[in-house]
Amino acid sequence: MGSRIGRRLHVPAFRLPAPLPRLPALRPPASSGRLHDPRTATAIGRWLGVALAVCFLTGLISHFLQNPPGWLAGYLPSRPVWGYRLTQGLHVGVGLAAIVLLLAKLWAVYPRLFVWPPVRSVMHGLERLSVAVLVASGVFQVLTGLLNIAEWYPWPFSFVPVHYAVAWIVAGSVLLHLAVKAPEIRAHWGRRSADTLTLPDARRDGPDRRALLIGVGSAVGAVTVTTVGQSFTPLASLDLLAPRHPGYGPQGLPVNRTAAAAGVTEDGLRGWYLEVLGPAPFRLTLDELRTLPQVGARLPIACVEGWSVDARWSGVRIRDLMARAGALPGSGLRVVSLEVRGAYRVMEMGREYAQDPLTLLALRLNGEVLSADHGYPARIIAPNRPGVLQTKWVTRLEVL
Amino acid sequence: MKPESGAESESVPESVPEPVPGPVSAVRYALGVLGLLLIGIGGRHLASQPDPYDVLVWLGGALVLHDGVLAPLVLAVGLLVAAVPARRVVRGALVTGGALVLVTLPLLLRPGVPPNPSALPLPYARNLLLLLAVVTGVTVVWVGLTRLRWRGTPGVRDKRAMSSEVDSRAPEGREPDSQAPPEG
Repeated sequence: MGSRIGRRLHVPAFRLPAPLPRLPALRPPASSGRLHDPRTATAIGRWLGVALAVCFLTGLISHFLQNPPGWLAGYLPSRPVWGYRLTQGLHVGVGLAAIVLLLAKLWAVYPRLFVWPPVRSVMHGLERLSVAVLVASGVFQVLTGLLNIAEWYPWPFSFVPVHYAVAWIVAGSVLLHLAVKAPEIRAHWGRRSADTLTLPDARRDGPDRRALLIGVGSAVGAVTVTTVGQSFTPLASLDLLAPRHPGYGPQGLPVNRTAAAAGVTEDGLRGWYLEVLGPAPFRLTLDELRTLPQVGARLPIACVEGWSVDARWSGVRIRDLMARAGALPGSGLRVVSLEVRGAYRVMEMGREYAQDPLTLLALRLNGEVLSADHGYPARIIAPNRPGVLQTKWVTRLEVL
Repeated sequence: MKPESGAESESVPESVPEPVPGPVSAVRYALGVLGLLLIGIGGRHLASQPDPYDVLVWLGGALVLHDGVLAPLVLAVGLLVAAVPARRVVRGALVTGGALVLVTLPLLLRPGVPPNPSALPLPYARNLLLLLAVVTGVTVVWVGLTRLRWRGTPGVRDKRAMSSEVDSRAPEGREPDSQAPPEG
């Protein structure tokens, strides 16, 4: 073993412009391993590319649903009902798979970290710098995402804006990397591509590479099957390792923010009434709200952290309340919560959401009165909407 | 996703290997420029953070954590696995088990009490051990069945012996499979 560790670095498949010079003794740790070649990198890299693209796009969707620029707010669609559930389930599920793919990909190219000489030219230096940015931002992104779903925040910065910023850096680095490596990727795209066949040890490595890819595939499958049940509820019984489980939580439904965390107390709810502001403002007590026509809807509560569960809600249609307040067609709505702490105390919804017949001021969940943690006495539930914008403990609606 | 996806058939006639970096086409230029643009957008978002240097430290830390700790660790495990019989199946099992451990670690190591009863509600240590036992079981059965099949068809063993002879004549006498794939 010792002699193998001391052996020179051998990078079989990387074509260098000149034969490697004999290496000085201070070379970094050696590797004589196999499958560290462009074919392996391409085979894993393209799946990683797809995974990162899915994560980036679904992340953007969530970002714009949560922080729409003014011109967009009115056009955000409230359908499909399961839209946010699907995109954010994918974001986290594919993100977990991307951890495996990223590490496998980096394993395949790891010996290139030690190419000699470290920098051959300005262009080569820039290329290495771009790879460093790609590796740093990629590892950072999957790591922070993984810790975020575990509700673990060991860093001094705010997760959401930083995860968003670094997502752009990852996406840009991947595109730059594709541009730089396009010829190599093309030349090693298939098992029988020209350069794949001319790799050193091409014949011997083929079965081993296939075994490796199957191994990586089985790792992705294992991680997915044991976690995806937190959003894809038919597989809930296989959800063994996900941070959430459908069914665990007050009234059988997970929550992200409890009444205690939001500073909502029984005292604060005493004498509660709903205030609706608009051209014809009015107030309703809880009993009065209960006498209005109640509408049932089956809607998911879907969190950006990937978990989601369908539930039966019933309450008063938001658009009925807005009409009663004299809202003009096409109005948006501002919703104010009783919670004393938190970035989501005030929420706005565009007209598509406000006018959707499934958007409710919900009073009941799965046939029971809302529990405190689910937003008693009244909460918003709307289709295709981020969980943090399903405002709980609603006290005031303002027609915009 | 990748523009060169359809290029496999085209690349076959190019028997002369392209120099790396190859001809820089307009598409590659555009892709590269777009990449730089997105990096710039991300950089601008980062710069608008209250303390972007904190993030830079963590970005550098991520690089060091992977290149300096995780990757060498996996390569070291690979050296050990190289000597194991049925190494292909064994390292597939190690990759799978390693991935399961990796995604569970934050749930196990997270300090403090979860913020509410519906977060992290499962017995993760027990579930992970259960899954690792399943992975081990499947691996043992798989290897056993493969062995049995070899015994049934003697020709297979001969072929393998032949191919390992080829291995031993490989340049620089490298032994087959001195490394396992990544663990996670």
